[in-house]
Amino acid sequence: MFGLVGRAVESLYYVCVGLWTVAKHTGRAPITKEFPDTMPDLPGAFRGRLALAVNPETSEHLCISCRQCERVCPDKCIDITAHKSPETGKLELIDFKIDHGLCMFCGLCTEVCPTTCIINTNDFEMSDYSREALIYDLKKLTLTQDESAHYFSKKYLPIPKPKPKPAPKPAAAAAKPADGVAAPAKPAPPAAKPAEGAAAAKSAPAATDKPAGDAAATKPTAEKKADDSKDSEKEKAAPEPSAAEGKAEPDKTEG
Amino acid sequence: MNPAVFEIGKFARLTVIWLSIIFGAVWAACWAVGVFAPALINASGMPTETASLASEVLRALVPVVAVAVFIPINAMFMVLCERRALALFTVRKGPNRVGPDGLLQTAADAVKLLFKEDITPHGADAVMFTAAPIIFFAPSIIGVLPLLAAASGNHELFRSVNLPTGIFYVLAIASIPVVGIVMGGWASNNKYSLVGALRSAAQAISYEIPLVLSIVAVCLMAGTLDVVKIADQQKDSLLSWNIFGGGALLPYVNLVVAGLQGNNEQVQAIMQHFQAQPLGPFAAVLMVVCCIIFFGIYITGACAEVNRIPFDLPEAESELVSGYNTEYSGIKFAIFFLAEFTNLFVVCSIASIMFLGGGHAPLPGLEQGFTEMLGGILKQLPGSKEIFSPGWLINSLVNPSTVSQAFWIILKTYSLVIFAILIRATLPRFRIDQLMAFGWKRLIPLSLILLIALTYLRELV
Repeated sequence: MFGLVGRAVESLYYVCVGLWTVAKHTGRAPITKEFPDTMPDLPGAFRGRLALAVNPETSEHLCISCRQCERVCPDKCIDITAHKSPETGKLELIDFKIDHGLCMFCGLCTEVCPTTCIINTNDFEMSDYSREALIYDLKKLTLTQDESAHYFSKKYLPIPKPKPKPAPKPAAAAAKPADGVAAPAKPAPPAAKPAEGAAAAKSAPAATDKPAGDAAATKPTAEKKADDSKDSEKEKAAPEPSAAEGKAEPDKTEG
Repeated sequence: MNPAVFEIGKFARLTVIWLSIIFGAVWAACWAVGVFAPALINASGMPTETASLASEVLRALVPVVAVAVFIPINAMFMVLCERRALALFTVRKGPNRVGPDGLLQTAADAVKLLFKEDITPHGADAVMFTAAPIIFFAPSIIGVLPLLAAASGNHELFRSVNLPTGIFYVLAIASIPVVGIVMGGWASNNKYSLVGALRSAAQAISYEIPLVLSIVAVCLMAGTLDVVKIADQQKDSLLSWNIFGGGALLPYVNLVVAGLQGNNEQVQAIMQHFQAQPLGPFAAVLMVVCCIIFFGIYITGACAEVNRIPFDLPEAESELVSGYNTEYSGIKFAIFFLAEFTNLFVVCSIASIMFLGGGHAPLPGLEQGFTEMLGGILKQLPGSKEIFSPGWLINSLVNPSTVSQAFWIILKTYSLVIFAILIRATLPRFRIDQLMAFGWKRLIPLSLILLIALTYLRELV
């Protein structure tokens, strides 16, 4: 009998403790995120819509048409169209299509990309009225310079080096950004490295923090070379970017 | 400012706005039917006999109009209030999209439900399927009527619904809805519905006994079944409420007060009274304890009676899809929903009338002071004798005593509703065997023992 009363009192006590605990929660700020009004604060590693970044400083397209992402994609949702430029003999990106209806946001493409061009953005609002509308083309995929800068800083990605331009062709610059970085496939002749390039390479290890200065260092050389080899001397132009790239690679691993 | 305070403020604003809408509408409807229309008829120059007959009929209709206006709006408010309060307890925001700050959410839901397709499942018994929600809903309208008399302070318009056996009638009516549930569950031709309905029947029968025994205890102390009289007996102060023994402690408090005031004659008189009853103080304390436990039993039984968490086994979502109303849709489902919340309101208002002093203020003098103040203001109004002048309109619209009583009973009843929501936010659901064991092996013996104890204690105090 007394055991029963004791148990009754004890259980009543615990019910009251529970009620009080719940009542205390009234004093807490609601954790609700009112999504359409306030966007969720997503971490940089969030795997949202895929996009192609441009260099946050020079706004040149980072894709080099190496097709690594296309090869690694489990869903085969990436479709790259590129051709070898008859002028420079390098791969030139014509179109880049990602079918987000197929994509499963595994992020493998972003891992294999050698230039950190393809990235997962924080955008997840892709709903549309047709499946075809989910196939994004190059224009839709490419981020602006500001967006790229935002994601590079948010994901803690090293700022890529600007590619030296072989010729002052501003119209073609965006269309064939592959120039410089496609070069490492060929064996770079180290003997062709000019003096200016060496000077740039010297300053390179410390240059990740100040790529602007780096760009300033490399630009004159590129322009000079371009002047030298207008049309015909393609071989001469190639080693020059390759030298720049050759120093960019160890640079990345060090940084 | 702390966002939590902001949320509580929003909840309070919502409650105040909705309560003003509900009771403003009820008040206006009652006034229009019971006061304004008869006055209009009398002033219209009809033959006297016809006019008086017509106004009598209109006055008799007032309680029905009040309930008919009150129940749908109140159910809308209670659903919204429950969702917002649950959101507060679970650190969320709750519905806040429809209308200003979600105020119209349940109104929109009601409209949606009314326009939905009304489906009768294949193999269902169509007649009983249709009758079930009506049988479930009708008792909550009929049963609430005697409470109106107590809630309005026995206002002359509601005097007709005050029955000498009021609470007995309410309890008798309150046990009808389970028939509707079983009918609905059986007629749905669905095993989940049937199991839910049978559980509901078992639960209602088990928990009705302690519920009724706790009400019987109150009636025993009050010596009447009339809700108006029970409420009036508790009018003095907090200490004369039935939850605190119905005035058992009052003489002792008076003694202490008289002692502090140094009123020796009164102290002597009270002491003489105590010498006749030497066990009095002891019995009084025991009686208060009994009454508080009875109040707990009543709340438990009421939660089970209206199928609320932790006793919501008839509609346990995880076991039975939605219980007895699985197959219902559209307006029939809306009626089930309406009835459920109205039942919750009814049990809470019974609790506040039977245990918490009805429409009377917790402190002595508060009610009277308010009534006199409001009455004084109303008397100042010009032209209160001339018919259809602004003074007459306000004077006939506002009855000071009824305003005060309505305010307190609204406060008490909705506090209990919020407490029921707090219980819902806290406790998990019982298992069916635990439910039965708790009802039959714990609550019923406890309430029987307490009832017998109360019978004797009453004589000793």
